[in-house]
Amino acid sequence: MKHNEQKLSEYIDRLNAEQKPLEDEYSTDSEELKELFQTVKKVRSLREPAMPDADFKKKLAHAIKKQADKPRAKQRKWAWISSIAALAAIFALIVNFLLPSGSSHLVLAMENAYQEVKAYHGMLEIVETNAAGKSVTQAKLEVWADKQGHYYVKNIAGPNQGMVTVNNGEKKWQIQHDQKQLQLFSAFPDAYRFVFELGNEIKEVKQAISTKVMGDSQIAGRAAVMIEVTPNGGSPYRIWVDKQTNLPLQKQTAMQNAIQYKVTYTQLDVSEGIPKQMLAYKVPEGYRVIDTNPEQFVNDLNEAAQAVGFYPKTAEKLPNGLVQDKLAIVPKQNLVKIYYQTQDPIKQLIVVQGKSTGEFTPVPTSILGKVGDRTAEIQSPIFEETGILSGGGLYAGMTPVSSIRWQQDGFEYAVAGSVSLEELVSFTKEFTGGSFELPAGDESTMEPQVKVQYDLAVEANDQKSVDAGNSPWKLDAVFTAQVFVSLQISPQGITGDYPISQKELKLVQNDGTSAIVEVNSNKTAIKQVYLKRIIRQDSTGIWTVVGYNLEK
Amino acid sequence: MANFVVTLYCKKTLLLLKCSLAKKEGGKHMPDFKNRRQPDDSRADFMEEICHNTWEAVYRFIYYKVQNREEAEDITQETYMKAISYLQRGRVHPDKYIGFLKTVALNVLRDRWRTKKRRGTTVDIDSFPVAEAPGPDLAEQSTERIFIEAGLQQLTKEQQTVIQLRIIKGHSVADTARIMNKTEVTIRVMQHRALKALADILKNNQ
Repeated sequence: MKHNEQKLSEYIDRLNAEQKPLEDEYSTDSEELKELFQTVKKVRSLREPAMPDADFKKKLAHAIKKQADKPRAKQRKWAWISSIAALAAIFALIVNFLLPSGSSHLVLAMENAYQEVKAYHGMLEIVETNAAGKSVTQAKLEVWADKQGHYYVKNIAGPNQGMVTVNNGEKKWQIQHDQKQLQLFSAFPDAYRFVFELGNEIKEVKQAISTKVMGDSQIAGRAAVMIEVTPNGGSPYRIWVDKQTNLPLQKQTAMQNAIQYKVTYTQLDVSEGIPKQMLAYKVPEGYRVIDTNPEQFVNDLNEAAQAVGFYPKTAEKLPNGLVQDKLAIVPKQNLVKIYYQTQDPIKQLIVVQGKSTGEFTPVPTSILGKVGDRTAEIQSPIFEETGILSGGGLYAGMTPVSSIRWQQDGFEYAVAGSVSLEELVSFTKEFTGGSFELPAGDESTMEPQVKVQYDLAVEANDQKSVDAGNSPWKLDAVFTAQVFVSLQISPQGITGDYPISQKELKLVQNDGTSAIVEVNSNKTAIKQVYLKRIIRQDSTGIWTVVGYNLEK
Repeated sequence: MANFVVTLYCKKTLLLLKCSLAKKEGGKHMPDFKNRRQPDDSRADFMEEICHNTWEAVYRFIYYKVQNREEAEDITQETYMKAISYLQRGRVHPDKYIGFLKTVALNVLRDRWRTKKRRGTTVDIDSFPVAEAPGPDLAEQSTERIFIEAGLQQLTKEQQTVIQLRIIKGHSVADTARIMNKTEVTIRVMQHRALKALADILKNNQ
């Protein structure tokens, strides 16, 4: 109850500040809060709306004008943020593929060149081009980055002009000058860093299915070699490598939905490190600080135990190369966070633990494993933050961070890390004393009573469409089952809410390539829906309904 | 008895407001994309004119749903971006621009709610009142307003004050505590109880 009073008060504060609430009636799990949030909105509706600044109308008109000026056939959603998100999503699609590549000498040269780099400073330009060849510069960024994972990014041009984002390994923060505020985030896991980070880029090229040299050209006045990269998932893209430094200079995505993105280092210099003042945390005078990561560091497990009321569980033995780093608590939620570090400063791992507060519900996009006889949720990469993960700062989307979450003996645990899934599994096995198991992938359970026919060409097209950012629900087995069952009830189409709600569906099996969703509704005779990832067997692959069982 | 009187009063107000709104919208000049008199008008200028004439009504409609400027601005922008191609094709009659834009806004809102719903939470989109429907909805909003004001009157004086200070006037917990001479903890408890009581009253009056 006390918790709800606090949350309600925070909700009112956010609305009073004219900001989007962190939790609202659509995201809360509490029925009471849902009703109270709605009541607050009703009371607030007695006030006159807070009208936007005079600038808003101008910005809106400008955006509309710009969009309307584009040739009609090539029109698409404008918002800069979504463009960047789409770009990052396309990048994210090519993360995490682990096949060896048979890298060319150029890829090797890039790797060797990057090994010599301690830090770099560059000016990044992001350009969107439509099918008619018309290009628009979306943003210009000044970037400082080092190999410890620290970075400083300043938006030089674009709608977020002036915004600065910094991660110094201790803290991550973002200064929004237009709102005179500084937002604090967790330094790790860092959900969204910046596009065209050299280390990541080279890693992705190395892990691609194939690379092909396409020819020479000039990029920002520098001689470069163009390589076509075919990733294991997603469409081929091009990358230009500086002939002199062997570092990537430019990347161009495939044309998808008549839009193509090009990210270019118009200037790139290597350096000994990031200037200290860039990484120094300082709140500008008169700026409000919003702490989205209210964790406090403690010295040892006893101190943590005193603060949260339980003694944190630790792994008896750590896998090779992993050492315990920082220890923190989140007082508001009584959580303990144990940070682990590998020899590679970019690769980190964290264990979050706290008393379980409700029924364990894995997110619909997760693979289901086991800890003893309990279900464990595996996300690789993390798509949605839920349970105790939501207390650890930003995790959602566009991140190569994976996680395993489960409940055991009245506690909820989550292991998350910017490491490979194999490394994460290996750690979780140690942490759970060997009781963690990955799904077996048992094909014998995938025999539905009624088989559903599908067209491979249609599915392949759907996959392309999802790769381009459309219909993301097809990546979610439960959502796909919901649409399928709803369409069986209303074959003429769905208007308004789905006749089958999410509450009536339960993911009972998912090994990442095949899944079974149980249906518990008196509106349909369908009891189980069988799904498979037909086109691509990873987290970017769409689900296809292959069959179902009817009520006996 | 009191509820019955309120209901009757509301129905009458609703009719009056609908009539006055119909007149108001009919009287507003809207650019007509399909029948542009000057063929050299650029699409962009035309869209700018539509934006100029409609943005405030659309923004107010969205703000009513989300009750914060940050989200209202975002959704307003998204609404226009989604609506541009339809408006440009001249498929919407100029008299219906605002209604059309409100429908698009409602779809954007529903998409966002569904996304949140997907994240494993329970959302009852239907719990939103009929006033959510696009069109000249100020009348319905005003009806709701009367219900809410009547509901507030049924709270204790202290409960009314805490809601007035925290939500209507937008004071912080600390300021409200100072004004009411209570501790901050007490204010949080009071506002929680007051809103719970108001929610029950509104539910029973539905």
